[in-house]
Amino acid sequence: MTNLADSGHQLEERPTKFVPGQPDMWMFVLFESLLFTGYFSVYLISRTQNEQLYLQAQGDLDLRFGVFNTIALLLSSWAIARCVQSARAGAYRSALVNAYMTVSFGLVFLGSKITEWVMEIRMGNTFTSNEFFQHYYFLTSIHCIHLLIGFVVLGVVIYQLRSPARRSQELIETGATYWHTVDFLWVLIFALLYVVR
Amino acid sequence: MSTSTAPSATLPDPPSGSALSRLAWNVRHHPKRELWFAWYVMLIFYNLYGVLFFVVTRVQPPPSPAWDTPTVVQWFGEHHLGLLAGFGVVFLISGMCGPMNALLAYSMRRMSVSRTFAYSYMIMYALSALPGMLVMAVAMTVAALRPDRDPELIQWLYDFAFLSFSGTMGVFLIGSLVWMVAILIDKNRVFPKWFGYLNLCNALTEVVVAPAWMFQRGAFAWNGAIAWWINVGVFVFYTGIFLTLLRRLIQREDFGTGPLPDMGGKDAAAQSDLVGAVR
Repeated sequence: MTNLADSGHQLEERPTKFVPGQPDMWMFVLFESLLFTGYFSVYLISRTQNEQLYLQAQGDLDLRFGVFNTIALLLSSWAIARCVQSARAGAYRSALVNAYMTVSFGLVFLGSKITEWVMEIRMGNTFTSNEFFQHYYFLTSIHCIHLLIGFVVLGVVIYQLRSPARRSQELIETGATYWHTVDFLWVLIFALLYVVR
Repeated sequence: MSTSTAPSATLPDPPSGSALSRLAWNVRHHPKRELWFAWYVMLIFYNLYGVLFFVVTRVQPPPSPAWDTPTVVQWFGEHHLGLLAGFGVVFLISGMCGPMNALLAYSMRRMSVSRTFAYSYMIMYALSALPGMLVMAVAMTVAALRPDRDPELIQWLYDFAFLSFSGTMGVFLIGSLVWMVAILIDKNRVFPKWFGYLNLCNALTEVVVAPAWMFQRGAFAWNGAIAWWINVGVFVFYTGIFLTLLRRLIQREDFGTGPLPDMGGKDAAAQSDLVGAVR
């Protein structure tokens, strides 16, 4: 994803800096990873207790949606990584274009997710249908809330990029770190809900 | 706060005598006595809260939402004394929320942000005692004191108590977000930015309890692995962190309006001497 290597000059100036963006955001990544590890553990334990039901319910999920959503978010992560690289190189116009591309891929993901939810509900698979769909709607919804917060974060990144008076590289990289977390969590959710059978 | 209120040379020297004389000096002269009072109230409150809810009343970890009416009535019978004694104390200590919320609002007033944040937070958290403990305490006490009532009513009170306690987290959700935004835009370094992000984690776990209204079994019921166990884990961690950070805030407080000094800084060292006198 985002290039971790800083230029030699910058490293000289800031010898203690070893992560992109605010180190504080990496604490958030740690907290969220621990929290989702908890959610995933509960899902996997519940699954072992009623494997047949989970397998049957998973059959109602359309793997193509999962793959499409994963590609959309991976592309958005690629775009935000390019945004960071461009900003580091001082190419702010290109960085801005890439930030807008990130938003666009995020919106494609959101549209696709809502379409998938509507289709599942029409098939009769709602939040209260069975245990698998409780976890499915819970994990995808809580991830979607992260995505919506991500749009606010991208708004901050775009705000930084738009004016030469701002352009805080630290804030841009902090925003990118958050967006990568959204992607990273989705890849795990995709693997657990759609792929693991 | 203004710089004119800073602890100055007019402060008499702390006595070097017994612990009692030092305590008396601190109560009379310590420039941060109100802040320390509020902090200790908070520390005592959260400890009491844990003991009362987990040990005395035994309402936490919560019993099953799937129980039938006779089981619920029997549970009230078995916990009669604990419920009355525990919630009696809860009613007595609910006033402790005042200084606690004041300290939290003070932390926001010390930031470089608009006062709107502190006022919003304080108003929201003035309401928090209702879903956070009082509604449950009233419902549980009524059910414990009226065992001769229709068992269906007792079960209704049981549902009402736990759903009001577990299912109404909106106040805490918005409060955490207000605190988060204040910390992230603050330039006075009152709290580290990562604590702002931890507020977001805490706010998101408040969303997770909403399904407790719909389920009587499983991970999302009011006693479920996700809606209760993971959330309580996050809440305990979050509470421990903000108690520690508020303590550091008081230690670092210089009663100025600019950035707070670091813990190891010269100013903070002078302040910690005073703090040492408290103990």
